[in-house]
Amino acid sequence: MNILDNRALKILGRYVLISILAIIWLYPLIIVISTSVRTQMDIVCRGVFKLPAKIIFDNFSKAWDLGNFSIFYKNSVIISFIKVPIGIFVSALAAYPLAKWNFKLRDGIFYFFILGFGIPVTVTLLPLTILLNKIHLLNTLWSLLFPYIAFGLPFQILTCRGFFRTIPDELIEAARIDGCGEISIFSKIILPLSRPALAALFIIDFVATWNEFPMALIFIHDDRWKTIPLGIMYFQGQFSSSYGVINAGVALSILPVLFVYILLQRYFVEGTAGALKG
Amino acid sequence: MSYSLFLSFTDWNGLAPHKSFIGLKNYIDFFKDPFSYVVLSNNIKWLLFALSIPTILGLLLAIVLNGPIRGRIFFRTIFYSPGIIPLVSSGVIWAWIYNPTFGALNSFLRMIGLGYLARGWLSDPNIALYSVMVTAAWQGVGMPMILFLAGLQDIPKELYEAAKIDGALDYHLFWYVTLPLLRETFIIVISLAIINSLKVFDLIYTMTWGGPGRSTQVLAVWMYFNAFQYYKAGYGSTIAWLTTVLSMAITIPYIRILSRR
Repeated sequence: MNILDNRALKILGRYVLISILAIIWLYPLIIVISTSVRTQMDIVCRGVFKLPAKIIFDNFSKAWDLGNFSIFYKNSVIISFIKVPIGIFVSALAAYPLAKWNFKLRDGIFYFFILGFGIPVTVTLLPLTILLNKIHLLNTLWSLLFPYIAFGLPFQILTCRGFFRTIPDELIEAARIDGCGEISIFSKIILPLSRPALAALFIIDFVATWNEFPMALIFIHDDRWKTIPLGIMYFQGQFSSSYGVINAGVALSILPVLFVYILLQRYFVEGTAGALKG
Repeated sequence: MSYSLFLSFTDWNGLAPHKSFIGLKNYIDFFKDPFSYVVLSNNIKWLLFALSIPTILGLLLAIVLNGPIRGRIFFRTIFYSPGIIPLVSSGVIWAWIYNPTFGALNSFLRMIGLGYLARGWLSDPNIALYSVMVTAAWQGVGMPMILFLAGLQDIPKELYEAAKIDGALDYHLFWYVTLPLLRETFIIVISLAIINSLKVFDLIYTMTWGGPGRSTQVLAVWMYFNAFQYYKAGYGSTIAWLTTVLSMAITIPYIRILSRR
């Protein structure tokens, strides 16, 4: 009886601990939502912990129109939906020979690519700014596209290569004997078989692109081309004490990624763990 | 990158057509400037923080979630979700929580009668850096948790059973079975923590801007200020290169371990 009590206590303790932590972790997000649907008066007079006196959505429409959020949204959506597929396709194309062909410089090239892991973005900012300025791309969405693709490559090549290596060689040999060219092997065998890995990469990369800040900060100055993280910065300056509007902006910036994550989290978690463990 | 290395040996201001070669002067200046050591020590503090709190908390959460517990995916989602939202948004969320007058933290302290503890969490130079670290812990615990969870799931259950038959206690299991078998996961988590702590930018930029004064300045933000705000492109490149060398020193062994398998 005593032993049973002890075990029950332990299990209960575990639930209590994890629930308390979970509430702490969730609370900042709850505050964002609850602040975003209250009027300034309501927040200031009744304090942050009170439930809204009346739920209003004015803050969201203010953020969307006055705060230019519709523009930031459009830019972030465009850049994510162009960058992510191109980046993953290029990585897969590079990873296929690195995983499946035998040639002299293979390992050297592979190391060269993944060395990019260790390069802090900051070291490339200045030369990139100068380069982009020379080719007149600075301050347009294009200025983000190429660096974003380049910086995504190390992680994506590493992941693709790791996954491609699990595809049996016999399959590729058989296709070659049947007269398949390398391109059709890639598009008809490798890509379809790698769908789970590619899906994971897609989601991870979507989130990373949506969230990127330092490069956007330096390359984009024009309000017309700002992405969401820049928009949030701009918001903080513009509406510094309109707490409701700021939190509505924050809510708008986090909802799409949270939604994608919760919907597809199985791929997300497996992909992250799988890729980093090689 | 090589262009940046070249710039680090010049006194270029970022605009003028003229760049003159000044050799190692920027590097010597960096090490002579007492403020450089404030920046470096902030990065080291950040590193020590990143190695301890998110790592240990991540491991703890992973162990609890790997055990017999209902709602594993539910809890995992909660702890990981701050990690996927934009860091800029995390910064703004916590700036609101830390708001001296209306913020949740001070309001809470006043509510439970600890009002004397209420303060400007981001405006006090002695604690601003630690306040930002709390935000970083909130948003950064998910990644080590997921990696440790994956590592724990790779440990064969038979090992635990065998050890139990031999009379091992719970903490024996932890010290002699779990920890040694998580060695590889630890290498990954620790390498990532080191690389990322050299990259700290977004949170400092959004929450404190390196201030108050320059008390929370870190390498990446300091580099940005020099290269893009103070027109000292050469000096900025020097800071960037020093960061890169440090980062490479960690990355290369990490890649070796990853690709050995």
